[in-house]
Amino acid sequence: MKRVLLFILIFALALSLVGAKIPKDTLVIAANTGILITLDPGAVYEVLGAVIVGALYDKLVDFEVVNGTLTPVPELAERWEISEDGKTYTFYLRKGIKFSSGNELTADDVVFSFKRYLLMGKPSSWLLPEIGINKDNMDETIRKIDDYTVQLVFDKPYSPNIVLGILTNSFGGIVDKKEVLKHEVNGDLGEKWLTDHSAGSGPYVLVSWERNQHVILQANENYWKGAPRIKRIIFRDVPETTNQRLMLEKGDVDIAWNLIPQDLEELKSNPDIKIATFPGHGNEYVAVNCGWGPFKDPRVRLAIKYAINYDEIINDVMLGYAIKVQGLVLKGYQCYYPKNPFKQDIEKAKKLLAEAGYPNGFEVELMTTDTDRRKNEAVKIQADLAKIGIKVNVVIMKGSQMYPKYRKQGHQMVLAGWGSDYPDPDNYAKPFADYTVHQLAWRNMWYDDYASLLAKKGGFERDPVKRCQIYEDLTEYWFMNGPFAILYQFVEYFAYRKELKNFEEAFVGYSAKTPDFTKLYKE
Amino acid sequence: MNLLNFIVRRLLLMVLVLFGVLCIVFIIANVIPADPIGALLGGNAPPEVVDEYKKKLGLDKPLAERFVSYLLGVLRGDLGVSFRTNRPVLEDIKKFFPATMELAIAATILSVILGIWLGVASAVNRNKGIDHFARVFSILGVSMPVFWTGLLLLLIFYYKLDILPGPGRLDIFLTPPKRITGSIVIDSLLTGNWEALKNGLLHLIMPAFVLGYSATASIARITRASMLDVLRQEYITTARSKGLEERKVVRNHALRNALIPTVTIIGLTFGSLLEGAVLTETVFSWPGLGRYITNGYLVLDYPAVMGGTLYIAFIYSLVNLIVDIIYAFLDPRMRV
Repeated sequence: MKRVLLFILIFALALSLVGAKIPKDTLVIAANTGILITLDPGAVYEVLGAVIVGALYDKLVDFEVVNGTLTPVPELAERWEISEDGKTYTFYLRKGIKFSSGNELTADDVVFSFKRYLLMGKPSSWLLPEIGINKDNMDETIRKIDDYTVQLVFDKPYSPNIVLGILTNSFGGIVDKKEVLKHEVNGDLGEKWLTDHSAGSGPYVLVSWERNQHVILQANENYWKGAPRIKRIIFRDVPETTNQRLMLEKGDVDIAWNLIPQDLEELKSNPDIKIATFPGHGNEYVAVNCGWGPFKDPRVRLAIKYAINYDEIINDVMLGYAIKVQGLVLKGYQCYYPKNPFKQDIEKAKKLLAEAGYPNGFEVELMTTDTDRRKNEAVKIQADLAKIGIKVNVVIMKGSQMYPKYRKQGHQMVLAGWGSDYPDPDNYAKPFADYTVHQLAWRNMWYDDYASLLAKKGGFERDPVKRCQIYEDLTEYWFMNGPFAILYQFVEYFAYRKELKNFEEAFVGYSAKTPDFTKLYKE
Repeated sequence: MNLLNFIVRRLLLMVLVLFGVLCIVFIIANVIPADPIGALLGGNAPPEVVDEYKKKLGLDKPLAERFVSYLLGVLRGDLGVSFRTNRPVLEDIKKFFPATMELAIAATILSVILGIWLGVASAVNRNKGIDHFARVFSILGVSMPVFWTGLLLLLIFYYKLDILPGPGRLDIFLTPPKRITGSIVIDSLLTGNWEALKNGLLHLIMPAFVLGYSATASIARITRASMLDVLRQEYITTARSKGLEERKVVRNHALRNALIPTVTIIGLTFGSLLEGAVLTETVFSWPGLGRYITNGYLVLDYPAVMGGTLYIAFIYSLVNLIVDIIYAFLDPRMRV
């Protein structure tokens, strides 16, 4: 027995390697790459996929965080003009930008990229049609004026922040038309090839994507803003968050992508590790179905909002990794309205219930998905509502089961979240207040014409000051009448090695803005 | 003739079993009250897009029609196209299966060696230290969740002691061998890439041990019981009374006979290793079929889940068939 143990030990020691440390010009990221489906800008819709695509391709415009607010800035388009009627956008491209293939980027590539995206009809393909450009009208609405000028014509005079915000999505990444068409098979517009190859002008090129193993990017030495200092980026597939943490602490990876708040709390004591947090692009809410029993009465809806203890949810369930934002517009967005009128007030909630004719409360079913976080939140809400006499039965199901039910208005009460598709107040005002867009307000049967009117008006207002006033009015009205209690705004968080510099600058705005890896370097 | 007859009969039976698996998998995947489109598009997509997608993936057709077209596809060797990756499922399986197979084989080898050794040692040294150790070891083996064992071993051998590599199949900065069979060990042997071979073997140790742990435990228990049984037989007493060395008695006389039930167990555990790979693959970032099926399941990618399950069922029945044929070949009584 002893001999065997000794043998095993010697064998292991003899074989063991001194872990090869990461070179200074290489960045290794531990992430769950199992969620990746494609790295084609015209098709990608997953957050991690968008991050990688963001490093491979440039867009006409991008976002930058100016004074804490996401603001559109020029990228491939050095400037743009908006017509008098607010429907036609003319983009003037920078001259002399080369794709990694060496081809020059021109208006043809821009027109091709947008049309290609519309023709492919992928999960993100409803974004541009939302503002009036679709595959039926694209020959008239996406126009090349000359080699360096492109015009986009939208159906209505949307607020510019909406239009530009939608264009910063992954599909706005411009592909190299000649290179892509070279690899076209059976008229697929190069989709099969572009799934795991790149043809962009961005700071990096895709070297390889070994599914469920790694994605490797190499610096584009001819990048028009200058060659990046980090020459190689490796996304290692580490699905298990505990392993991400171990590998980070050991120095085998530079960034851990999918940690949970518990990990971060424990990592705080490690001097080699830094933690960065950014306001996220989504929120968590409880909604009641206004078509169901007691919830038809706005006073009952208000009672629910006063019964919830928001601070406890943020501090106990989320360990503080969440922002208290109760309004329609997220922090970091234009027209953010920093008023949070609701805090737990049991007396007030009870009074409202009594006025509505439910002094003894009632019984209701709350549905939610099966993550630990949601379960904890649901239990908390159950306890809070019990204090005003409402008996909540929590029903846990898979998201794929819950959403169809939700879409059919088949619930009484729901605990869910909403994520941005473009960082603009409109992306919250419409779904949460305008039932005519058949989104969250409609699902919760809140058929309120005044709220719908304001939400629509905000979407067309081009004067920023007037626009913010509209959203402020809408939010105030929605607080008192709407079916939603926003629990918090998400926070994005990462842990990284202290050798990595400029992390905050590179990642600010994540994930509405993909990280700018060119800003990173190692010491 | 008899043997051939047996094989043909078994093959027909296997086809029947696979058809049964296909039916069950298809029904389970298609009647559960969940919506793959919702999972695929997320919560934000407008309803019109949802309907359009449904049409695009053929989910608006009646169930019977979908079943027939799936069955015809399978007969042609076409497992359909994944909703998620938009690639043929069979192509994906070919890519991921070798990693799972390599892990399952390594786990089998490890558990057979360790299990038999432990079983024999504890039978021979009954109620002594090693026997007690083996008992505790086995109980832990069948009761500890794979997930937890895996993380614990990583914490000790990778993070604290630093003698074994972390998750993955190879170090990230190492050039992998050229893909021939898809197994790192075999490919690096074939191409003479010794660095990759050494690294690949090191990466195999922990996941193979974790995956094979419960199999090791059951093999050890079975071997011990059957060994004790055999050691009580009269021919062992005879051997001993002839003055044979105890070591020779155990190795040459007892073990050979004691191993028969063990072989049965090994055949059976191989199947459970394939299915157990799902968790082990997640803990050890192992790019195998288990993770492919899990990822598919998370977004209700039915073609991927059905194809992967069917493929594993196929391999499992194939292995069982081979085991049975070997038995039949060895022991004519089995051919009935």
